[in-house]
Amino acid sequence: MQGDEAPTELIEAVGGRRQRAAGGGGDRTQKVVFTVGEVLITLGLVVLLFVVYEVYVTDWMSAGKQADATANLDERWSQEPLPDPGNQRTEKVRPVDGEGFAKLYIPAFGTDFVFTVLEGTTETTLEAGPGHYNDTALPGEPGNFAVAGHRVGKGAPFNDLDLLRSCDAIVIETQTDWYIYRVMPMEGEAQDWEQGRGASEQCTDVKPLGEPYEDLVGQQIVLPHQSEVIAPVPNHPDRVAPPERQAALITLTTCHPRFSAKQRLIVHGVFTKQYPKDPANPGAQPPELTEG
Amino acid sequence: MYGWIWRHLPGPVPVKVVEALALVAAVLALLFFVVFPWAEPRLPFNDVTTG
Repeated sequence: MQGDEAPTELIEAVGGRRQRAAGGGGDRTQKVVFTVGEVLITLGLVVLLFVVYEVYVTDWMSAGKQADATANLDERWSQEPLPDPGNQRTEKVRPVDGEGFAKLYIPAFGTDFVFTVLEGTTETTLEAGPGHYNDTALPGEPGNFAVAGHRVGKGAPFNDLDLLRSCDAIVIETQTDWYIYRVMPMEGEAQDWEQGRGASEQCTDVKPLGEPYEDLVGQQIVLPHQSEVIAPVPNHPDRVAPPERQAALITLTTCHPRFSAKQRLIVHGVFTKQYPKDPANPGAQPPELTEG
Repeated sequence: MYGWIWRHLPGPVPVKVVEALALVAAVLALLFFVVFPWAEPRLPFNDVTTG
């Protein structure tokens, strides 16, 4: 049969042997070597397929989950009426684990860069989109609004986080408000901020923060266990800022370098502006969204 | 291994080709939807949180 001969011929070609196996498949060693080869090639293919899965297939799966989360959030927002602006908005509702509660825009990545942020940072939640660390501040609140997101596969919301420059806008939309955060000065820029980068228009509301935030910069790369980067005073979990100096910060975390989990890439931003949504015109968007 | 599978597929060659493709598809589905999702959290490639 055709199939019996093909493998033998292939081995001969590879090994350069002329000897033909008697009766088609008599040589045991050849057969074993051939089968081991096949298994090894197959395992290699499986590893390659895993890369394809990680980089592409999880993207498709996550796109569906992110779309569901966004649809749920939009529906909830459209059903609950905007609170009366005259009322004191003191009641903050804690978001529900695994559900979307805000949208994240980074205009520097294009006007179409928007992700629904979900509550919690479990594996499952992060498959659907960026996740808000439980028990960190909510948008606009003093403290640190900390969000984790994937960098490779699973929608890769934070793929290009390393490209953010100081003063780039990070916009958070909630049901009631738009919150504009801007990336903090980078290490090295803080020295002569006023004359340097700080002079540009985007940076009007951004400047190095004094005590107790004196060592806070726009981007850092840390080890995975360094959870102090999401502390209210980043890198200093033991510090408590006095109320009059408390800053509202945002911290984004993702893996670093790409395709690895050896380190974490961290971006810090500071809250600069808030636009309450106008119940008469809920579709209005802040000008920062188009500054890309 | 592959030769052995090919020889044990029933039917004439065109039918065998279809069967082989179906087998490949089944293995891919098993990997993408069962094996990889199971293995992934156990591998250190994509952790994004701190702490």
